[in-house]
Amino acid sequence: MDSSRGRPSRRSALLGAVGLAGVGSAAAACADSSGSSGSAGGSTVASQVVAFHGAHQAGIATDAQDRLAFASFDMAPATKVADLRALMTTWAAAAARMTAGRAIADDESRPQSPPEDTGEAVGLAAGHLTITVGFGPTLFDQRFGLAGRRPAALVDLPAMPGDNLEASRSGGDLCVQACADDPQVAFHAVRNLRRLAQGSAVLRWLELGFGRTSTTSQTQATPRNLMGFKDGTNNIKSQDTATLAQHVWVGSETDQTWMRGGSYLVARRIRMLLESWDRDYLADQQNVFGRAKDTGAPLGTRTEFATVPLTAKDAHGELVIGADAHIRLAAPATNGGVRILRRGYSYTDGVDPETGELDAGLFFLCFQRDPRTGFIPVQRRLAAHDALNEYIEHTGSAVFAVPPGLRGDGDYWGSALLA
Amino acid sequence: MRRAPLMIVAMSATAGLTLAACGSSGGGSSSAASGSKATKQTVSVSITTAGCEPDKTSIPAGPTEFKVHNSGAADISETELLGANDIIAGEKENVVSGLSGSFTLNVKPGKYQLYCPGGKSKEKVPFTVTDSAAYRAPAVSAAQAELNTATAGYATYVKDQVNQLVTNTTAFVAAIKAGNLAQAKTLYAAPRANYERVEPVAESFGDLDPDIDARIDDVPDPAQWTGFHRIEKSMYQDNTLAGMNPIADKLLVDVKKLQTLTATLTYEPAALANGATGLLDETGKTKITGEEERYSHIDLVDMKGNVDGADQAFVLLQPALKKLDPTLESTISTRFAAMYAALKPFQQGSGYVSYEKVSQAQRRTLSDTVNALAEPLSQVAGIVVG
Repeated sequence: MDSSRGRPSRRSALLGAVGLAGVGSAAAACADSSGSSGSAGGSTVASQVVAFHGAHQAGIATDAQDRLAFASFDMAPATKVADLRALMTTWAAAAARMTAGRAIADDESRPQSPPEDTGEAVGLAAGHLTITVGFGPTLFDQRFGLAGRRPAALVDLPAMPGDNLEASRSGGDLCVQACADDPQVAFHAVRNLRRLAQGSAVLRWLELGFGRTSTTSQTQATPRNLMGFKDGTNNIKSQDTATLAQHVWVGSETDQTWMRGGSYLVARRIRMLLESWDRDYLADQQNVFGRAKDTGAPLGTRTEFATVPLTAKDAHGELVIGADAHIRLAAPATNGGVRILRRGYSYTDGVDPETGELDAGLFFLCFQRDPRTGFIPVQRRLAAHDALNEYIEHTGSAVFAVPPGLRGDGDYWGSALLA
Repeated sequence: MRRAPLMIVAMSATAGLTLAACGSSGGGSSSAASGSKATKQTVSVSITTAGCEPDKTSIPAGPTEFKVHNSGAADISETELLGANDIIAGEKENVVSGLSGSFTLNVKPGKYQLYCPGGKSKEKVPFTVTDSAAYRAPAVSAAQAELNTATAGYATYVKDQVNQLVTNTTAFVAAIKAGNLAQAKTLYAAPRANYERVEPVAESFGDLDPDIDARIDDVPDPAQWTGFHRIEKSMYQDNTLAGMNPIADKLLVDVKKLQTLTATLTYEPAALANGATGLLDETGKTKITGEEERYSHIDLVDMKGNVDGADQAFVLLQPALKKLDPTLESTISTRFAAMYAALKPFQQGSGYVSYEKVSQAQRRTLSDTVNALAEPLSQVAGIVVG
């Protein structure tokens, strides 16, 4: 199903996925699924351990792990900037240990004290755990004296056609993205950071992702989304440092120097109306995406990685890839060369109690240098025209400024902002 | 209600303050109350393929941290300190090759062995603990004296609350038996507050707590349901006192039974602390949700009772805690203040507004505030036992 893996891909994927035309395949790395995984600037220190410290936070250019736990927090009422600083320091120390496969503290077996670590990850490997922290726009309101430090790129996402956003699944002062090979390892990380935050920050929402929908490495196979289509082939890859520098990492253009080396994260909870989708006939499903369902090949071609024939017409003079096909609207050629790094996961939150239908879909995550030129224009276009819109609904939305990586022990997220 | 009993009570009136014994669960942390980290001694034990290799084999009695490091013994994964008859005084398990860990306990004088199961030549190493002044006179420390005062003060508080419970229940029961529904309703909240302040103590007496405080979901047979909430349902949902006389009589008997049982109780410092955390867990589980007082909706009265009871235990432990862990003491003080501030907007007259008037968002804020307080409070027990 993936016979042509490794060749240059023109594939685009669900929702906001854009590829850069003409980008060739970088040399494939040799990591296998249980092997190394480098955060940019970091290196593997042991099997299944992703370096926590580095120029950029891990969990962005890191090979996409299979599982996700993502939490959004609000700072507690009456907290001050000193509380925020203390929280980031506490979290950094705990995260450094957990990403190395250790509990957050050495258990002294004190019968009269609650164990410091909650314990469910004991005996599990580090599982390539990465913990990535971001700051939401609301953190830069009047509460912490940070209003003058808000980056211009950290915009409130504008309303999009078809949005059906729920406040309880949107926004937040802080976010924690925990990704790992093992869902319990990812959940353990979020749960313990939440516990350490008691009194400083409260959980706003939490989403679990059970399967990755993107590839961030030349070595990873193309996964399928819940609609059964291949997704994320032409994503930005960890090996392609030039493209990362150009499209993902914040550089000297920023108005806020504390963001240099960071990135911007957009999260969208995109519910798929799977009951309707599953009743759609195959030819229409394929027309919606512009791809063959079985091979993943663009319509009018034979293989997944073939060039998308955007101008090809059939015997009746109709476009082979329809004007409203997802693959066309998301194609880099039609988006001014804009690229974003996608890192989404399939999710389910059970059954919609009103309708009895599945509450499942794509928890879309993407990283970019500036959402104003990344996610926002691409999504505006998709929201207006994409044939997929009949089968999806955006129910949650958030944007976060993701500060650069931590330099070493004692450093913490946003140290250049909060020090 | 219906959490596991969290208040460890000692039945002897003369026992006074006893510190938790070590080794009961194989974990073993207990030391004199004065055993702050500064006075703790350390024994480093290296696990090698030979077995246990401690840096010393004789120490004076007192608070001791055993730091265990497995420097490459693949077949050994734990170190135990064995006392007479091979009883485990303390241990650290799962110290596989390359890992470190520790256990802390207040070791008494005597002959011990360090035991590293699987060691080739040093599987069991003799270890001597000599008598010491530090061990013999821990009770003279200031913190210890303050803990003694705290436990005595808590016993007085419980007796006082239970006496008030009996008085207030007597009036409530009299109104029921007089058939005065309106008056019974106005007298319902007072004994509830008394009870909620000391509930973890009542929970340690078998069926007494369910007899007094069960909700309908707690009883296997609704016909056998007794206590405050049975009467609450009759008053507020059925709008009658019909059939309540025997329930009222039994309620008064039960609270008097509680009065007798608590009259001679003494408490350990850790029990105060665990009881305080337990009260806040109660709040989070049944008050925030509005389950506890589902007919009368006086849940905020109960909530305030839980917070008062927890605060009382904390205030009594505060002088000792200031010495043992001033940072923790200050955090908890701040969060109790925040808890009272969160309840304040709902005050109405001498009581609180109906819980029906508290919005979902307001309940969430109350819940967040309870959790923010309960988390550091849960650390106190471990500090006051050493």
